[in-house]
Amino acid sequence: MANVTAKTSKHAKSESRWAYIMVAPTVIGLLVLNIYPFLETIVMSFSKTRPFGLFELQGIENYLEMFTSAEFWRANLNTLYFCILTVPLGLFLSLVVAVMLNAKIKGRTFFRAVFFLPMVVAPAAVAMVWKWMFNTEYGIINTLFHSGISWITDPNVVMVTCAIVAIWSAIGYDAVLLLSGLQNISKSYYEAASLDGATKLQQFFYITLPMVSPTLFVVMIMRLMSSIKVYDLIYMLVEESNPALTKAQSLMYLFYRESFITGNRGLGSSVVIWTVAVIGLVTVVQFWGQKKWVNYEV
Amino acid sequence: MKKLKKLVPLSLACAAALALAGCGSGSSDGKTHLTFQIWDVAQRDGMQAICDAYTAQHPDVVIEVQVTSWNEYWTKLEAAAISNQMPDIFWMHTNEILKYADYGKIADLTDLYDETDPGYFQEHFSEVSLKNIQGSDGRYYGVPKDKDTVGLVYNKEMFDAANVPYPDENWTWDDLCEASQKIYDATGKYGYMAYGDDQLGYWNFVYQNGGYILAEDGVTGGFDNQATRDAMKFYIDLQKEEWCPDQNYFAETSPGTAFFSEQGAMFLEGNWNILSEMQNYPDMAGKWDVAVLPKCPNPAEGDGRATISNGLCYATSPENENLEIVKDVLRFFGSEEGQRIQGESGAAIPAYEGLEQTWIDVFDQFDYRLNVECFVDMFDYSEQSVNNKYRSVWKPEVTEILLSIYSGDRSFEDGMDAMQNALKEAAEDD
Repeated sequence: MANVTAKTSKHAKSESRWAYIMVAPTVIGLLVLNIYPFLETIVMSFSKTRPFGLFELQGIENYLEMFTSAEFWRANLNTLYFCILTVPLGLFLSLVVAVMLNAKIKGRTFFRAVFFLPMVVAPAAVAMVWKWMFNTEYGIINTLFHSGISWITDPNVVMVTCAIVAIWSAIGYDAVLLLSGLQNISKSYYEAASLDGATKLQQFFYITLPMVSPTLFVVMIMRLMSSIKVYDLIYMLVEESNPALTKAQSLMYLFYRESFITGNRGLGSSVVIWTVAVIGLVTVVQFWGQKKWVNYEV
Repeated sequence: MKKLKKLVPLSLACAAALALAGCGSGSSDGKTHLTFQIWDVAQRDGMQAICDAYTAQHPDVVIEVQVTSWNEYWTKLEAAAISNQMPDIFWMHTNEILKYADYGKIADLTDLYDETDPGYFQEHFSEVSLKNIQGSDGRYYGVPKDKDTVGLVYNKEMFDAANVPYPDENWTWDDLCEASQKIYDATGKYGYMAYGDDQLGYWNFVYQNGGYILAEDGVTGGFDNQATRDAMKFYIDLQKEEWCPDQNYFAETSPGTAFFSEQGAMFLEGNWNILSEMQNYPDMAGKWDVAVLPKCPNPAEGDGRATISNGLCYATSPENENLEIVKDVLRFFGSEEGQRIQGESGAAIPAYEGLEQTWIDVFDQFDYRLNVECFVDMFDYSEQSVNNKYRSVWKPEVTEILLSIYSGDRSFEDGMDAMQNALKEAAEDD
């Protein structure tokens, strides 16, 4: 008996050694490229930083400066507003698109490709094209609707504009994820429901929605995270010379400006740490909330 | 005094280790291989020509010109400076030179020509050019490369349509406004497009009026100076005129884009863009020309003339392992021959005094000849581009305040006070 245990443990040992070797590249990559910089960011957020990577530890001054700055709270509000604009509507539209792409329509594969296309295009290119379409005087949108809205420079509109582009870019990807969830739903549920006389709408709310809820939950977490981290899109649409900048500046945009334009990496780091904390908190709340609506029974 | 710790990110150390394996001067062909980093793709051929001229005389040296976009250039260069992997030769800009010089990341080149001609710098380069290569300690940290000025670009067809004579050296701010109004009335197009920019905008007007952005000491701001305020008030209020687009318009359409799509008649442009604009807008050839900046009619001080002048330089790292060879290359870059080749390539006016004509002659290649001499004429009264070591801190803030004045969120007086304060705080925060 003892002999057998020794043998298996020896075997298990050599097997686990191989397992470590196999995961090493990923783990080392993570440690060097993610974990180490993250820890360094924490240190920097408590330091006074100077050019060329020099810094000196100083305490919580960066955080004090951050929490007393109106610009920082403005950026928080802007980010929150952006999330409210993009997440619920984006999820709803993605689900609608996914359901439609799941239906038996002509040229289904073609439409799937079309909706996924924005995901393949570089975000910078997307923003450039939309920027021209939104141009107040020469843009196709104002020309088409005979309107004179300053999409990009009106402080009250600029966030809506950013949200439109963000939703447009994300719909395809989210819809494809949701589509995979939809395709896992067994046809027998729908057959049984229609035998019992349930309408299409009832089928959607009582079968589709609960069955796709695990996927929907994952998509929601991802969408909310990327909305909190929004940066490239706003950076491309709203330039430094834009008077609406303060109304469009997100947390990550503020981080970029503090770190790379003003050169205050300490303050930039504390903005990042704050954002990480916010994302963590929001995600915890979501995981707690999922118990109320996500259905894991098949 | 707290001890400064040096931060060497692990990732950079890894990158350095990898890089060491790949390059280094001990190349197999026995030659010294140097890298030369620049940010302007339009000047690549010109820079290559200078390098070729040097390597023709020194066959044991090979120089490779590398181009990185302006945005990436500074991030890359700073990372390279941290890990001691800087290119052998690189362009340096006045925006950044004080930072690099004060932190000892670029070599002191004050005595570069001491063996042959100790007064070389003073003899062959203007005072503004020399100011542009100085660190905070007043020593020279680069070899002057080029110099530039800002001029007035105008659309001749619109002037003809409104029956207004073209701008000349007698023009004042009043003529600028009057012509703009007439052009707007006659054609419905915009006149002078005064947008929220410093070097290509209000700085010129401030110095024309005898005001200043930074005082002689390089620290005290000038936004509480009456002459500065008057000029800025004049400049900012131009957007209230019907013939000038507002800042919202400029946020979407740059004055250059508006001008070359024939939406406006005038804007301020740096001479470094003129050649590429001639090449990029062949349809506009013959329809536009350039002139000296209009002067201030009643300056608080001085003769009312000024234009902002900036300039780049060539620099190297003090840690360079081939420093002696690199210095020899730099000596050549600063020589009459090296500067002449640069001028003939057309992208920039050589910093070397007396070679301005080489840049002017480049425009002979076009059937329609622009009056580019005006850019050179303006060196007589040019002002050094505003700079101190805190600039990266106050500049974004001042821009933001300027925008809030334009949008009406802040009154003009409040804004000026806030700008003055931004300059003061940037210096105190050090």
